[in-house]
Amino acid sequence: MAISLKESIYFGFSDFWSRKVRSLVTIIGIILGTMSIIVVLSLVNGINKQTLQWMMERGGLSKITVRRNWRYDNPNNARTYFTWKEIKFIRSLVPEAKYMNPQKNYWLRHSYEDKEYNCSINGVLPDFTKIEEWDTENGRFISEFDVNQSNDVIVIGTMVKEELFGNKNPLGQFITVHGRRLQVIGIMKHRYMKGNNIGNENALSYLNRRTFIPLSTMIHKGTGDDNISTLALKAHDAESAPELRKKLEAIILNLRHGEPVFMIESAQEEAEEMAQSQKTFQIIFFIISIISLLVGGIVIANIMLASIQERTREIGIRLTVGARRRDIFIQFLVQTVLITFIGGILGTLVGLSILEMVSGYLEIKLIAELSMVLIALTVSVGIGLLAGIIPAIMASKLNPVEALRYE
Amino acid sequence: MASLIEVNDLTKEYKMGKITVPALNGVDIEINEGEFVAIMGPSGSGKSTLMHILGCLDTATQGEYILNREKVSHIKKKKLASIRNQRIGFVFQTFNLLPHLNVQKNVELPLMYAGYSKKKRTKLAKKVIAEVGLTDRCKHKPSELSGGQRQRVAIARAIVNNPSIILADEPTGNLDTNSGGDILTIFSELNLKGHTVIIVTHDAAVAKRANRVIHIVDGLIENGDIS
Repeated sequence: MAISLKESIYFGFSDFWSRKVRSLVTIIGIILGTMSIIVVLSLVNGINKQTLQWMMERGGLSKITVRRNWRYDNPNNARTYFTWKEIKFIRSLVPEAKYMNPQKNYWLRHSYEDKEYNCSINGVLPDFTKIEEWDTENGRFISEFDVNQSNDVIVIGTMVKEELFGNKNPLGQFITVHGRRLQVIGIMKHRYMKGNNIGNENALSYLNRRTFIPLSTMIHKGTGDDNISTLALKAHDAESAPELRKKLEAIILNLRHGEPVFMIESAQEEAEEMAQSQKTFQIIFFIISIISLLVGGIVIANIMLASIQERTREIGIRLTVGARRRDIFIQFLVQTVLITFIGGILGTLVGLSILEMVSGYLEIKLIAELSMVLIALTVSVGIGLLAGIIPAIMASKLNPVEALRYE
Repeated sequence: MASLIEVNDLTKEYKMGKITVPALNGVDIEINEGEFVAIMGPSGSGKSTLMHILGCLDTATQGEYILNREKVSHIKKKKLASIRNQRIGFVFQTFNLLPHLNVQKNVELPLMYAGYSKKKRTKLAKKVIAEVGLTDRCKHKPSELSGGQRQRVAIARAIVNNPSIILADEPTGNLDTNSGGDILTIFSELNLKGHTVIIVTHDAAVAKRANRVIHIVDGLIENGDIS
């Protein structure tokens, strides 16, 4: 005959309950540890996801951009823009690029009747919509025909529409820019990236403040020059983008006789680099959480050890009336298990519920996943158990006579 | 009467750092079933050590201890726990009750470790609590009781498992003369009911109650057979 496991568990439980304050303090330690792991992992995950989403919003991973390399001080004054002829030459050398859009832009006043609005006006080709994966909501975008004819047409962003037309339908109306009357043929879709605000401003709202006209119209009827400093291309897929980027780099370097006045970037490669640097972040953050959990574990072990010291006499009495070492061990173990599990579960709940708050404060979206909850629970409960088992073993090894003598 | 306890040439040494301190130097004792024995000696004589060994709380360094025809001197510690639980009831000078448990729960403790059902535990505990006259104090915590009452709870706990031996270590040491006398009366009654009672004391008045007194001095039995 011996005490049942159920009874041992009951002892442990009543023990846990009769020492509420200490149990509570220990639980708080575990809660904090679990919570911090969840928050940190979700934060890193959120940053990752958000950056990737940003790239997707801005044309996806197969996009390649060519722009002025400001890091090169250009001592020999190599030409820092492309001519229309050069653009056509480059296009002929990269037939594998699915789309290409040379771009020119100015900051100009747009006026309609008595209203005025200053914003960026962009000379583009029809490929723009394919590269940016962004099309019109109403009307149509600039066509091949518009480019060939250098038509006086304009497509506007939603905020430009808001400022100049209010609730009026802008389609068919004329906007005056730089003394030229341009007919509105389309309104772009409104851009908004969920959960990505910087202050009151959405990360994508600058796009809603743009207008678009045929590149040819801008060159021939606007400035009169064909200085094109920005170029966007799209590879067939993300995998072939790095290769296309390398080829473009070689071509453009060749055009400028080895002077790196242009910077050619592939979104795919950027994403890879980012993932790499974020891995480091993730590891650092994870180590910090583990340390905080270890501290929590040491607190548990310390409290358990203190409670054994304090309760040596009780252990002695229990041993005297016939408790086996196993019974004492289980009694202490049950306390630990209770503390770590309650702490782990509460920590998970608290961690998940403050994600929204932290995300509002940092203006970064925190994204939790099941795997993170599991990691946090495994680590915190594991450390808690480990910290409790050692004192439990020590308690069960006490000599009854020594224990009884303890005051 | 059959001999319940047989101790032959028992020695116990404590190691304190590099020094070995002898506590028992070859003790021979025989105690029969149903006896009321007092073990007397000055402090430091080894009487408590002897009681701990007799109570299976400690093991001897050398020698033989036969309890109920079973050689327990070299038994495993796990088995000792069940011997303490089933065959021995302890009463201490400082009562050694668990402060956060009430009288009923304290008395039930040995039954819990013996694996009795809750129903049976309650029944048995109630019975022995009635025997020591504390039925109306069942739900009280030890701190709400007088010293004499606490010692009666301790006695109830000692006898609840119906052990063959009751071992008491200075059971009246912390009590006034009156309640001490009551406690000793309870021991006499238990002895009359057939329990073997062994009291360790340095008080001659306590020893008078016993049928036999064993004197121990410097870890040796001085006078084994005075009745």
